[in-house]
Amino acid sequence: MRGRISILLVPLAASALLPFAVFRANRIAAGEPRSLIETLGTAGASAALLALGLAIAALMVIRQPLWRLGVAVPLLVSLVLAMGWGAARLGADAPTAARIGPGAGFWIALTLAGLLLIDALARLRPGPAARLGFAAGAVALVWLLLGSGVLAELSVMEEYRSRSAAFWREGGRHLWLAFGSFGVAMAAGVPLGIALARAPRLRQPVLGALTAVQTIPSIALFGMLILPLGWVAANLPGAAALGIRGIGMAPAFVALLLYSLLPIVANTVAGLTGVPRSVTEAADGMGLTRRERLWRVDIPLAAPVIVAAARIVLVQNIGMATVGALIGAGGFGTFVFQGIGQTATDLILLGALPTVALAFVTSAVLDAAAGLLPGAAP
Amino acid sequence: MIEFQSVSKLYDGLAAVDDVSLTLERGTLTAVVGTSGSGKSTLLRMVNRLVEPTSGRVLIDGADTASVPPAQLRRRIGYVIQDTGLFPHWSAARNIATVPELLGWPKAQIRARVRELMEVLQLDPDAIGPRRPHELSGGQAQRVGVARALAARPALLLMDEPFGALDPVIRGQAQADLRRVQRQLGTTVILVTHDMAEAIRLGDRIAVMREGRIEQFAAPAEIIAAPATPFVADLLGEGDRAFRLMSLRPAREIAEPGAAEGPMLPAGSSLAEALAEMIWTGRDRLPIAGPDGRAVGVVRRDAVIRAGRPEAGPE
Ligand SMILES: Nc1ncnc2c1ncn2[C@@H]1O[C@H](COP(=O)(O)OP(=O)(O)O)[C@@H](O)[C@H]1O
Ligand SMILES: [Mg+2]
Repeated sequence: MRGRISILLVPLAASALLPFAVFRANRIAAGEPRSLIETLGTAGASAALLALGLAIAALMVIRQPLWRLGVAVPLLVSLVLAMGWGAARLGADAPTAARIGPGAGFWIALTLAGLLLIDALARLRPGPAARLGFAAGAVALVWLLLGSGVLAELSVMEEYRSRSAAFWREGGRHLWLAFGSFGVAMAAGVPLGIALARAPRLRQPVLGALTAVQTIPSIALFGMLILPLGWVAANLPGAAALGIRGIGMAPAFVALLLYSLLPIVANTVAGLTGVPRSVTEAADGMGLTRRERLWRVDIPLAAPVIVAAARIVLVQNIGMATVGALIGAGGFGTFVFQGIGQTATDLILLGALPTVALAFVTSAVLDAAAGLLPGAAP
Repeated sequence: MIEFQSVSKLYDGLAAVDDVSLTLERGTLTAVVGTSGSGKSTLLRMVNRLVEPTSGRVLIDGADTASVPPAQLRRRIGYVIQDTGLFPHWSAARNIATVPELLGWPKAQIRARVRELMEVLQLDPDAIGPRRPHELSGGQAQRVGVARALAARPALLLMDEPFGALDPVIRGQAQADLRRVQRQLGTTVILVTHDMAEAIRLGDRIAVMREGRIEQFAAPAEIIAAPATPFVADLLGEGDRAFRLMSLRPAREIAEPGAAEGPMLPAGSSLAEALAEMIWTGRDRLPIAGPDGRAVGVVRRDAVIRAGRPEAGPE
């Protein structure tokens, strides 16, 4: 296994030959590649290559996952720092309109170092608490790097500075879309799942209908919701005051909610029907009422499966909320679509990077949370 | 006292239990034995209303079980099943505390009761108590299941093939423990099994079931000596009936005054054990010990063999 992951070290070494940065005369101009030497200067590039060489050599010989982690984390951090310094160096003698962003070499090296880090982490087999700790550490590290100002000259950060208020506003809307629709879906889906677990006859029709919803492409579903919600806004007193409109937040919220239902309902049913027969029999035989059995036995034992659905749904929602920007729902998607419209790659990244990070952290936290549940598989 | 009064249970028109009437005395252990599908579990589950009779009544101490809400009824009746049905997300101790918790006992009292029961069942409270069921051996899990059923001091304990999943050595131990605990607490027990040897070993009375009906309801010695139907005889197995009978009767019953050479037979030995000892050591007279361990008489070989015959059996 170690041999196989070590294959990654070859492209990692090769990535040093690819352009490390991209230089643009202005934010929408075509990019020109900048090599490692051009970006960091001879001395800087030599130091970087030496560090990379040492890291690769170390990863070839070290087996102990904790030590491998001790190599991969500094490697990742120095890559990002090198990018920040390189951007500052290139930006120093360029006109103000010029933009410097990461090049192919940086992205590839970042991905590979990330994979090596994840591999070392997986080998450590951390418990749920340790995994939560790692996730918190990663968030803190990113926060520190962003806050320190070393990355300030990077083009993405320039895009951020020029619209930081919009960034946080859209971020808030993104969270509200993704987590709010998830919350409503849980509140509706779990009781529905409980009901279906008790009524096998209703199971097929309901799950079938929810599956049909999943097959509708998201843009089509947004479109399909514009008319009925527009009608509701126009005809139901008070609906418009609540922010319900044919376009904007409401249809996106409802669409995400509909997509969320199938995983939540299906997993709730699967979790509840998966409780061993002997356990329910014993619970009934001890004299637990239906409600006592539900809360003390059935739900705790089904919880890991339900949390697995919650994780799928949240990651799916965080990604899909981006598309909501197309119908005016806001969210990080706003920057992505503006960026596409203006062919401004950095603006696209400003929307895409936080979305990916958000999905990543949410997934890690829920994964660890599932492991902490008392009903989790031993 | 448990009374089944003309109890039947039909599934899709077919009788799983067919017009059963039985009276079980308080403080006794009744073994319900029969082949698979003969309706044993259905009969048992009608006592705690996991199954509702199609017709007939089940009375406990004269009160119709149908007049008590099921949850309330079941909290007063212990229930043990073959797969233990321990709650996998709770520790052994919490499992045992299930019914006292439902009944709202004070916490300290529950804790004391859990410890007490674990000690009675020879489970170390500090080592075993915090473990989750998947961390227990089969025998330990089974004993936790029994402790859980006994937690709220039920006067009645229902057991559905409780030892079926255990290997023979552990099963023997578990059977002996059950007998000891049952005597100690005076609990009325109904035990379902498909194993006639187990029924003979444990039952004060045995109810033999076939196709939903009771074929014979009698004490073990009587069942062995005089099986009421060919089915009962089949279930007994013809070959070793004499040994089964001899393993039921204590050797002390046939002791005569006198003395004999060699090591003494322990006080609680059965006729079968006396005979085995005679064959093994080549003696035809054995001294036998009383409860205090001192010799109280001798057991002679021909007396053992005579006693091994059923009273009404072939001379
Ligand atoms: N819930 C049920 N629905 C339909 N048939 C059942 C049900 N429970 C038991 N039976 C039938 O009743 C008969 C007796 O079953 P059971 O009491 O479990 O037998 P035993 O415990 O002696 O093996 C069997 O033929 C079984 O198939
Ligand atoms: Mg059965």
